[in-house]
Amino acid sequence: MTTMDERVTDEVEALEAILLDDVVIKRVDGVPQAIETVVHPSTGDDADQQYVCVTLEVKLTPAYPDTSPDVILRNPRGLDDQLLSSINSQIKEKLSDCLGQPVVFELIELIRENLTESNLPSGQCAICLYGFVDGDVFIKTQCYHHFHSHCLASHLTAGERNYQEELEKLPHWQRSQTPPYQQSCPVCRSTVSCDVDALRRAPPPVESLAAPPFCLTAELKALQLQMAALLARQVAKGGVVCPGDSGPPPLTITTPAADDEAANSSPNDPQDGAKSDAFGTRNGHTSAEHSSPGSPRRPAYRGPYRGFNRRGKPGRGARGPR
Amino acid sequence: MAALPRRIIKETQRLMQEPVPGISAVPSETNARYFHVIVTGPEDSPFEGGLFKLELFLPEDYPMSAPKVRFITKIYHPNIDRLGRICLDILKDKWSPALQIRTVLLSIQALLSAPNPDDPLANDVAELWKVNESEAIRNAKEWTRRYAMDN
Repeated sequence: MTTMDERVTDEVEALEAILLDDVVIKRVDGVPQAIETVVHPSTGDDADQQYVCVTLEVKLTPAYPDTSPDVILRNPRGLDDQLLSSINSQIKEKLSDCLGQPVVFELIELIRENLTESNLPSGQCAICLYGFVDGDVFIKTQCYHHFHSHCLASHLTAGERNYQEELEKLPHWQRSQTPPYQQSCPVCRSTVSCDVDALRRAPPPVESLAAPPFCLTAELKALQLQMAALLARQVAKGGVVCPGDSGPPPLTITTPAADDEAANSSPNDPQDGAKSDAFGTRNGHTSAEHSSPGSPRRPAYRGPYRGFNRRGKPGRGARGPR
Repeated sequence: MAALPRRIIKETQRLMQEPVPGISAVPSETNARYFHVIVTGPEDSPFEGGLFKLELFLPEDYPMSAPKVRFITKIYHPNIDRLGRICLDILKDKWSPALQIRTVLLSIQALLSAPNPDDPLANDVAELWKVNESEAIRNAKEWTRRYAMDN
């Protein structure tokens, strides 16, 4: 066994003394091989205010510190690629500056400074796809994923509702054996525990309120025509499911939900007649002359397909045009 | 009709600006929640060269519940039945709002590359896939050629 470089043993000792459980030293035959620690921004000791973090792994080379160690950043949370590559190039610089002396503390400090400067999650909320800006109320899960509180509340509420619905489908004797509802992170499915009522009080994401409305561009229209033409060619070859059906395909059946929507809107919507025509939800408007694929007056594809239960007969009795 | 959620608008824009190779999804002219989709058959699969038309519908509470997706073009696949319905966990209990239209369609494309006859939806197809895989693959190629090739 080679004698350990005193500079290395001193550094490792100091790291363990200061970082305690927050640092992992990997040793082989008592010789330190790698040092690993999760770096957070400086926020006093307030972990709730830390929105970003990254795992630093330093693999010591046999001649370290006279040669540079291999440095790897893993599991970045809340950091975008641009910041990560900036930190990586600063690390490279630091390594060449510090050749010949222990560098791990310097690296931790350098990364921490960067994280403290950008301690606001970058990227988007995975639920609404909008960013985090001033005025947004957002939350960091235990797994370091960020969501607008408003969005996470919607997810958790829907998750619990789906769980209840599935539970009610089970026979009584199975319900008691089913594990209780467990909140989970939408991104990594880790279990989380959040106060949904508190989250729900948060305002919706700022950027989503200012987003421009939907408009059908010329580009989209051109693509629609291409799609329709392709479909028409496949129909002609008999390559489409249910080719004998002159109406729209089964996913597009009229559903009670669609009818309800139209009915609900009628008392305060003077244009209901026109809308029923455009969407074909009312009797008689989805007649066959409009149903050829590619026709601009094709009946609307509007109803959710309700035949996804595997044993059911999809679309039975609910198909719109006959 | 209720205003279209911003997330759907954003996904639609991104599908146009940064299209996924081998996948196109275009909203219907009459309903922005209904998408016309084309998935190209993956290379080195029996579906290679095919253009598969699908329909995708975003339900009222999307993204809190999964999109409804179905093949319109006929396809010979153990996890897709003769009505075009797809057996895929993320479309059911494994749905998460962090998934998107693009990730769902990528998963479907991946399912074409990796048929799973042990979790079948089309029982006769799955059966043949298990007992005589080469014949099943021949059938899948033939169906692709007959129904999904655009020439």
